[in-house]
Amino acid sequence: MEVLTVLVPYILRGLSITLEVTAVALGLGLFFGSILAILRVYGGDLLSRVLTLFVTLLRALPHILLLLIIYFIIARVVNLSAFWAGSLSLAIISSAYQSEIIRGAIQSVPGGQMMAARSIGMNRIKAIWHVIIPQAFRYAIPPWSNEAAIVIKDSSLVYVLGVPEILRQAQYYSARTYQPLTAYVTVAAIYFLLTFITNRGLDLLERHIRIPT
Amino acid sequence: MPKPEKLIVKIENVHKAYGKEKVLRGISMDINESEVVVLVGPSGTGKSTLLRCINQLTVPDSGKVWVDGVELTNPKTDKDKARQHIGMVFQDFNLFNHLTTLDNIMLGLVHVLGMKKEEAYDKAMLELERVGLANKYGSYPGQLSGGQKQRVAIARSLAMEPIVMLFDEPTSALDPELIGEVLTVMKDLAEGGMTMICVTHEIGFAREVCSRIVFMEHGEIVEQGLPVKMLNNPDMQRTKDFLGKISVLD
Amino acid sequence: MSFIEYMLIALPKIWVGLQITFKISSICLLIGMVIGFPVALARVYGPKWLRWLVSAYVEIFRGTPVLVQLFLIYYGLPQFGITFSAFSSAYLAIGLNSGAYQSEYFRGAIQAIASGQMMAARSIGMTRLQAIRHIIIPQAFRFAIPSWSNEAVSMVKISSIVYLIAIPEMMYVAKMLISKYYNPMPTYILVGLVYLLVIGVLTLLLNEIERRTTIPGLETARRGS
Repeated sequence: MEVLTVLVPYILRGLSITLEVTAVALGLGLFFGSILAILRVYGGDLLSRVLTLFVTLLRALPHILLLLIIYFIIARVVNLSAFWAGSLSLAIISSAYQSEIIRGAIQSVPGGQMMAARSIGMNRIKAIWHVIIPQAFRYAIPPWSNEAAIVIKDSSLVYVLGVPEILRQAQYYSARTYQPLTAYVTVAAIYFLLTFITNRGLDLLERHIRIPT
Repeated sequence: MPKPEKLIVKIENVHKAYGKEKVLRGISMDINESEVVVLVGPSGTGKSTLLRCINQLTVPDSGKVWVDGVELTNPKTDKDKARQHIGMVFQDFNLFNHLTTLDNIMLGLVHVLGMKKEEAYDKAMLELERVGLANKYGSYPGQLSGGQKQRVAIARSLAMEPIVMLFDEPTSALDPELIGEVLTVMKDLAEGGMTMICVTHEIGFAREVCSRIVFMEHGEIVEQGLPVKMLNNPDMQRTKDFLGKISVLD
Repeated sequence: MSFIEYMLIALPKIWVGLQITFKISSICLLIGMVIGFPVALARVYGPKWLRWLVSAYVEIFRGTPVLVQLFLIYYGLPQFGITFSAFSSAYLAIGLNSGAYQSEYFRGAIQAIASGQMMAARSIGMTRLQAIRHIIIPQAFRFAIPSWSNEAVSMVKISSIVYLIAIPEMMYVAKMLISKYYNPMPTYILVGLVYLLVIGVLTLLLNEIERRTTIPGLETARRGS
């Protein structure tokens, strides 16, 4: 019983921070990632090469190293809290992966769709907005669901910046009670539930908006 | 040239259902040595299922199947051993993609029949020659045309010295110009006295080569008989309708 | 101290760390393969209870952060008197984690093989086991190479987290250098460049392996991840 009354407050405090970090990282990551993807597909040759190099670099390096590098750069430029700097770093890392997902989705829309949209007099932007994006969005959901689960799990990395998310809370709890296993098993179970719910939810969404064939 | 008749395949009241759908509803059939039986009928009438029930790749729900005097539907029968001598040729070839044509043929000889490698090599080359593809021994399936793939698949079955060969729409996946080379190999086999059961829509092959046409519909045998009779004046109207339709196409 | 001077001091230390990075990632990759391949076979061909059991393993390890798995084993298990050294914990946590992912790659590869291959093998009299051994496994390994290559690269990246339990691999060396010279940026950049170099070379190497094991005529059938 004492386990519950002591552990639960720690976990709840950490959980809300974990969820916030994940939401910021995923949301901003989607925003940056979309811009990156659209520029890579429809921007000029030079721009697309530079951005591809940037994405490749981000994808090649360990996330924890990137987190520390980006955090360090951000800390130099602006005065942000560890929470915001950490979330923003994760968002930038995720944007590289999300841009790949979105780019892949855009490119799986057949080329004829763009041509057909232009042929009825839409301009490029309109064609992208009304024809390409609604289709690409559907292709993107399964891999995006995968990325969402990765970001949930990666949110544990901001632990190294001292952000009091759920893993850090587990550490506080075990330092106080000498029951590390209880703490870490609970934390693992919560992560499992979060990724499970996210994957199932997006799976349902994907089925709901699937284009009938 | 009359031969003493020897029963090779006996099928007795075979039933098979997938869920609620009854694919076979009590099929019985006897096939003698050197007979060439052609199974025809609309798609989805259970012809392929019946073939797979013969070598037990599909297990019937009820009924019995004997091949060369051995009851395959008996749970005590070693089915793997029985299949060694029941050749099967598939619509989509199913050559082992990671092996050369020669290795495709040798695999069964070495690992199933336990033949020595040198012996298996000679045997495999012989079979490749028989289907006219000895020069392709080092090619991978992905490097062959559909007709060549199917001839290798036939050679793979023949190498196991089957007592009966099952053909499951062997030419349906082929471009029209490649069908002939496969049918020629099948015709040679038939003339050599091989017992064959073929699911095919090639009426020309049925007319020239086979000894019996069996017409199936909705999981039942509607009518069977000599090709001359079945193609020219069958007893049942349903047979006439169906064979009339595909003969026109031929 | 110029960047070049600093490099001359730092690189030998980073080299020592890199060797440990290699050791951890290659051992974990190997453990992952030894676990992942049988798990994939069990998941496709096993009896129902076994399929359920291995699915639970795969889903649990894929559904939780590897950092939590590492801490659970290293800090958590001693509560029950089960104590592993830092290195053993790393091998166990990351190896089990990789095993779950690798089993998914192998499973995908097995399922990418047309079902007719199994039927054809059975039709010439092979037993189920013979068919798996001679027909399914050789093809599955080749199909799995592209995604398996990604896993090898992932291992190098993921091994970096073990610095948090004080294993002196590259990130740990970076941390030591920073606390000694207090110059985080040059240190991170240097370590980052070494990672890029290692991962670049590894990728080229794996591409070459992939090219050499391709089955002629079957190029289009290969599946990525």
